[in-house]
Amino acid sequence: MKKKRCFSRGALFILALLFAAGFVLPTLLTVTNSFMTESELNANYGQVFSSTASSGSTTYLSESVTLKFIPDKVSFSQYITVLFRSPEYLLKFWNSVILTLPIVLVQLGFAAVSAYGFTRWRGKVRSVIFFSYVILMLMPYQVTLVPNYLVSEKLGLLGTRWAIIFPGIFAPFSVFLLTKFMRRIPVSLIEAARLEGAGEWKVFTRVCLPQCRSALYSVAILTFIDNWNMVEQPLILLSDASKQPLSVYLSEINTGEVGVAFAVATIYMIPSLLLFLHGESYLAEGIAYSGSVKG
Amino acid sequence: MAGVTLRNVKKVYENGVEAVQDFSLEIADKEFVVLVGPSGCGKSTTLRMIAGLESITAGELYIGDRLVNAVPPKDRDISMVFQNYALFPHLTVYENMAFPLKMRHFPKRVIDEKVTEAAAMLDISELLKRKPKALSGGQRQRVAIGRAIVRDPSVFLMDEPLSNLDAKLRNQMRMELVALRERVQTTFVYVTHDQIEAMTLGDRIVVMRDGVIQQVGSPDDVYAHPANAFVAGFIGTPQMNLLPAELRCTGGIYSVSLSGVSLPLGAEAGRALAERAAPPQPVTLGIRPESVELLSAGARGLPAALSFAERLGGSVNLHAAFGAGELVLSVPAERAPRAGSALTLGLPPEAIRLFDPQSGASLF
Repeated sequence: MKKKRCFSRGALFILALLFAAGFVLPTLLTVTNSFMTESELNANYGQVFSSTASSGSTTYLSESVTLKFIPDKVSFSQYITVLFRSPEYLLKFWNSVILTLPIVLVQLGFAAVSAYGFTRWRGKVRSVIFFSYVILMLMPYQVTLVPNYLVSEKLGLLGTRWAIIFPGIFAPFSVFLLTKFMRRIPVSLIEAARLEGAGEWKVFTRVCLPQCRSALYSVAILTFIDNWNMVEQPLILLSDASKQPLSVYLSEINTGEVGVAFAVATIYMIPSLLLFLHGESYLAEGIAYSGSVKG
Repeated sequence: MAGVTLRNVKKVYENGVEAVQDFSLEIADKEFVVLVGPSGCGKSTTLRMIAGLESITAGELYIGDRLVNAVPPKDRDISMVFQNYALFPHLTVYENMAFPLKMRHFPKRVIDEKVTEAAAMLDISELLKRKPKALSGGQRQRVAIGRAIVRDPSVFLMDEPLSNLDAKLRNQMRMELVALRERVQTTFVYVTHDQIEAMTLGDRIVVMRDGVIQQVGSPDDVYAHPANAFVAGFIGTPQMNLLPAELRCTGGIYSVSLSGVSLPLGAEAGRALAERAAPPQPVTLGIRPESVELLSAGARGLPAALSFAERLGGSVNLHAAFGAGELVLSVPAERAPRAGSALTLGLPPEAIRLFDPQSGASLF
């Protein structure tokens, strides 16, 4: 019996390991390959890119591709190219930052205030609005893309960053998650604060928000990742290529400069990764307590 | 310091439930009043109306001379201790206790003085840097009380503050509350469903049921002279025996017949019953377990058989079966008879209370 349990645990462990490898290896490959020299990369992936360049067709797999994890010689040449010789990459990175950060920060503010409203005031109107939030949350972004486009055009925002930032800061998922979390705060805490002299704003800022730290962090991380990786919105709403973020630009550099692509992809990953590593425990707690998972 | 006056206060919720009906009560300055009753009797709703956490559907509420029906909670000069302590988990004990003073923009020096003083009074000085999650139930309770007393409120409200504590700690905290009351000298309104708390803490207790006051009086008065069968049954552990009997009057002498045994009543009872009763009539006889006497075999009394004994250490509650039912009597452990023993019970006339079986109102 004990042997059987050990065996099934072992099998599960190996399965989990395989899954983990499936997720981690591409990332690892990107990071390690970004430290390879141009010649080493050409030796490994040259066939893929030469055929793409000559025929014009897109071929991403080739018999001649060698997946190599450890560079023969560690080189920072790709990073030097990205950071010092080609300012366009940094410009795209900056585009990503100025699109994502306002969305994350302002969305957090709006979502927190809205969630507080949904938590504190009950009634039929509130229920209808909250239900419509849930419905909106279940819809994929593509469904609201056309209305967003039309509204942006009507407001004269098309082609500007505001066409992405404005719809981005009003996110139903964040409101939903924070509302679910705030409802866990005992009413007696809010009542105690009111009795002890706190007005509504102080109850919100001094009592409610500090207790939603993990949920706020979860929202911040998820919103950041969601918007850092956006592709459809800038492609449709931002026609000016100079304003487009790194997420859109990454697909273009993949075709010619594989070494640079690895370096840019690595740099591109860093903010999300740091944010995740810093707030991993908050993220888990925030999502677990709010009883929801982003769809 | 201030008294609290409730005049015909009523609370009806949106769904039509009448939580409190026509509640009138005068609470004097520095008085300790306990609202007691079973769950759903409206005691917490009444307290929350005093606090301003529930709106008042009808009636008037005064704190001191000020009508406060429409005054927000923070401006009523009250403090409240909640059942679950309601300590802010992200703040330290010091910050929790300083919260009411900070909200009122007291200078930092004054805040420090007052918190330190309250912490010393409650013996929690060494806990000031801890967060609530690092405290025991009793310590949290002290912090909650500290937060409430730190700004010297006019009225101190407590909503079942001891109900989350274990029995031993509850006893200890009860005694500490008595001592605290002596020190802070303010008006207390205390809600509990525990009648021992009500009896030991209150100057007066207000027994409630279904949103209606059943009786207001000193603990001794309510215990000895319950206004109705509900109060008689609710106050006291074990509860008062309530038995079906018949009231009779022969030649101006009143007696009750319990299971065929005639129990004469005293002259005082006779005078009261002459106005309120029309014998022969069915009544509910009430007698406290500690008032029932265990007589020696052969004595004149109510014959019964011991069906069950609850041993409580120093005393034993005997469940004695007789013709009309069962009654409980409390005797010292050394006098407890063996199970199945035949008993003869004495019901002293001065300990007997009579209630109307329909309305439950006290006849005597």
